[in-house]
Amino acid sequence: MIGPSIHIKGTVSGGEDLLIQGKVEGTIDLGDHEVAVGQSGKVTADIKAKIVKIEGEVSGDVTGSEKVVIAKSGKVRGNIVAPRVTLEDGAIFKGSIDMDPGDTRTTTQAPASKGEKPAAAAALASNQSPGLDLKHG
Amino acid sequence: MSPQPQDSQLLASVLQRVEEGERVTVLDVGPALPETVSFFSSTPCCLHIVDLFSALPLAHDEEGVSYAEQFQDLLRLSPTTRFDICLFWDLFNYLPLPAANALMQVLKPHLHAGTRAHAFGVHKRGAPEDSRIHGIHSINTLTLRPRRQPLSGYAPMPQAQLQTVLADFRFERSVLLADSRLEILLRMRHGKTDLTL
Repeated sequence: MIGPSIHIKGTVSGGEDLLIQGKVEGTIDLGDHEVAVGQSGKVTADIKAKIVKIEGEVSGDVTGSEKVVIAKSGKVRGNIVAPRVTLEDGAIFKGSIDMDPGDTRTTTQAPASKGEKPAAAAALASNQSPGLDLKHG
Repeated sequence: MSPQPQDSQLLASVLQRVEEGERVTVLDVGPALPETVSFFSSTPCCLHIVDLFSALPLAHDEEGVSYAEQFQDLLRLSPTTRFDICLFWDLFNYLPLPAANALMQVLKPHLHAGTRAHAFGVHKRGAPEDSRIHGIHSINTLTLRPRRQPLSGYAPMPQAQLQTVLADFRFERSVLLADSRLEILLRMRHGKTDLTL
């Protein structure tokens, strides 16, 4: 763990999971491990890890080989590359998200069709606005 | 507040390539929403989220920075980016004509024949403002969330003017919604059309 009073400038790498509650500037590369940016964490760096969870602030590109999660308290400005990305309600994000499930798609619970997501659909009542169909050309 | 659903007759056409599993590049000019990210998550895509609504009202051209420069700075697009899908939502109801033209001028190099877009306009200029944030719940369902702060500058264009602004797009289909709002499906034309600024 990088504690709240710690400020690191440079490259952070290693072979175990990492929780960042302090400040990091530079690059973070934890390969097949997990990086969590806690609520007090402020990262100005590119992050590479298997799983990246962000509850604090990140300015930089984030690559998660498995997934990236931006929690409701998270603020991210940068580009995300990951097969799966979750944005919680209240999270702030500006940038691009590059998602390519590739082979990981067989291991994830991807919906059979994007046409409907039953759990969410059940929670939402129909609210169609009445309308007149106007066709052009 | 949880998002409210709104069925859409046109969204499925906009998102057809996503449904078919093709890799797509998407521009969403609204704020990043959980449901939209969830919809695109685990699909092969590149989702560019640039909340242009948060930049409203834009500074006037006369204040030193042109509308085009403002949009370039907000969008920060790579020269190689080509959008397959543009989600404009109701942005054009809040842009003055020169700004709308400038946005299309900035976006034009990043569009291609076949780019599809979704937008909301109005059937009558007196249509009341519907200041809600739009997201995607499923292939044919939008979500609506109330805005935390009202937007200024609501001044919807007449349809003819909107069609002029979006001259590079063919208006494939429109659906009249409640309160004289129009949901519009657009498709980039193959030929080139000059925009007047």
